[in-house]
Amino acid sequence: MRKRSSGVDRRKLLAGSLSLIALSGVSTVIAKRGSLLPPPKGNRVVVLGGGYGGVTAAKYVKKEVPEADVILIEKNQLFVSCPLSNHYLVGLIDYGQLCFPYNRLHTKYGVKVVNDVVADIDLPKRRVYLSRGYIDYDYLILSPGIEYDYDSAPYFKEANWYYPGAFRPGSEHLYLRRLLEEFEGENIVFTVPKMPYRCPPAPYERAALVLSYIKENGLKAHMYFIDANEYPPVLRDGFMKAYEDFYRGMATYITGATIKDVDLGTRKIKTDKGEVRFDFGSLIPPMRAPKLLEDIGLIYGREKWVRVNPMTFETKVRNVFVIGDSCESYLPKSGYAANSQAKVVARIVASRIRGKEYGGELIQHGVCYAMVNLKSAIMLEVEYKYNIKTKEITKVLREDNTWKVSTAKRYYEWARGLWRDMFF
Amino acid sequence: MDRRDFLKTCTAVAAASLASPSFFSSLVEAQEGKFKVYKKALLVDKNGNPIKPEDIDPRKQYIFFYPHRATPCLLTNLGKEVPPAKVKLSDGTSYNWQGGVGPKKSIVAYSAICSHQFSHPTPEFSFINYYPENIPSKIVKRGGVIQCCAHLSVFDPAQGAKVIDGPAPFPLTAIVLSYEDGKLYALGTLGKELFEDFFDMFKPDLRKLYRSTRKAKKLVDRCEVIEVEEYAKEVIRC
Repeated sequence: MRKRSSGVDRRKLLAGSLSLIALSGVSTVIAKRGSLLPPPKGNRVVVLGGGYGGVTAAKYVKKEVPEADVILIEKNQLFVSCPLSNHYLVGLIDYGQLCFPYNRLHTKYGVKVVNDVVADIDLPKRRVYLSRGYIDYDYLILSPGIEYDYDSAPYFKEANWYYPGAFRPGSEHLYLRRLLEEFEGENIVFTVPKMPYRCPPAPYERAALVLSYIKENGLKAHMYFIDANEYPPVLRDGFMKAYEDFYRGMATYITGATIKDVDLGTRKIKTDKGEVRFDFGSLIPPMRAPKLLEDIGLIYGREKWVRVNPMTFETKVRNVFVIGDSCESYLPKSGYAANSQAKVVARIVASRIRGKEYGGELIQHGVCYAMVNLKSAIMLEVEYKYNIKTKEITKVLREDNTWKVSTAKRYYEWARGLWRDMFF
Repeated sequence: MDRRDFLKTCTAVAAASLASPSFFSSLVEAQEGKFKVYKKALLVDKNGNPIKPEDIDPRKQYIFFYPHRATPCLLTNLGKEVPPAKVKLSDGTSYNWQGGVGPKKSIVAYSAICSHQFSHPTPEFSFINYYPENIPSKIVKRGGVIQCCAHLSVFDPAQGAKVIDGPAPFPLTAIVLSYEDGKLYALGTLGKELFEDFFDMFKPDLRKLYRSTRKAKKLVDRCEVIEVEEYAKEVIRC
């Protein structure tokens, strides 16, 4: 099969473009509209996705190369954080604390923020199509996060109308909190998809926090925690000890289970390890990179994530990078990891704009915290250092599985620091 | 460094060089743009008396606010002579850090605003702290470091606060100290400053503490030194 110079198959590219336009309901006329912005004076960097990765990438590229034209494309007007959203679910923080406007990226750093939906990307032409026209780029940083993978688990789609997975920021969390507040007892079910998925400790933290909330509110309830994995993939010892110490008899942990169906009429989940009836729940579906990335030829076959150079995040197409949850990387998928990866890519892009390849050390750093009850938390740190010249990779992994109140306080500061880094 | 700043620096350094001529001449020569002179500020104890080097306990950590009324700094006695060090930055530039001051050349000071994501001591919490030898860091398993527990950046105060672990992109800003006639003074900063962003990020908090950002930004000529444990309700170590 003949490949274009970009490394993307043309037939697949065209098919992808057409199907995406049809699926998104965007007329082909839109793709024919003109350029949304006048041509830049210098290099233009387009960043797609205003989450942890995209915001950080846009800010840091602009900081490093102020003369570059940096465009951040995001469909929502406000940023809403998924990290700390479990705190919101159980009433530890207000929803407003998770929300940030994008305006400072423009007023302080000069990033142009475009609120629009991406209809298509033409990699050979280096052009992003939006609903209102197109934007050409020299460098493209894609950070679109995740989509729920209903193709591999169709029964989740309707189930999520009633019992949200709440792994995408926004109304899902608001509704799940309302369900929890209205819950008066009986059976709860939480499901965890098989790895990889966004923020590995989050389902386990959510289970612990909801159990703690139930205890605190004196509700008579039992949780069925249906996990497609054999154990928590991170902080295993900390979570298992906390479940044992705090929630013995309050929950049944069903591990290595495959969900076969969700019957909303009878409120039953059928698994290969038995059937569970429930009154309230959070059903977290499997996840994948957004289909847009498949449609433009960056995902192969039945794969769900974009293969990138794991230390530089460059795809097979030069000057096109994928960061955050959408890519396959060493770090667990998380907001903090996306923030760290964005800085790596910003450094590489800035160097190339200045006409040279970055030759220093590239560091990816991940720190994750997880609550185990309403007051205490555990945490982990993982770091990969990559020396471009020697090609050596050094890994550091530290887990603190002893739950502490002070770790929960660090957790808040961890999040506040990230938000400062992105928006100030 | 523009012409006005350069002249200001030269004037201040000329005065300061009376205390340690060799240090300051090499300082200004080697680090244009990295050394910034502020008001010369006397470090005093809680009673308003000049703090004596022997009162700075190597097993403790101290805080003072310099060069602005609201910008916290950590003061420590490393308990041994600390020689000057060359501090290299990731952009390839470098500067010469002065080393310790005082009779034993063991006293150092750094801005307590973490160069990663701006954690700093507040009246509620101190997540960034000095770990003396008797309280080793659980991250790097040793004392004699400054560590931030929010994202685990670790700095070496004996090496100009260079980053020895974690995500911080550059060292803590050094506070240039001088020791004259038994008294300790702060003279300026050395390295990458974060004050402008700090005032921007923490505007609401600073308004609560100082009534206005203008008051928080006021430059000081006298700094009260107290133990961090007295300043913050909770000192969080890791």
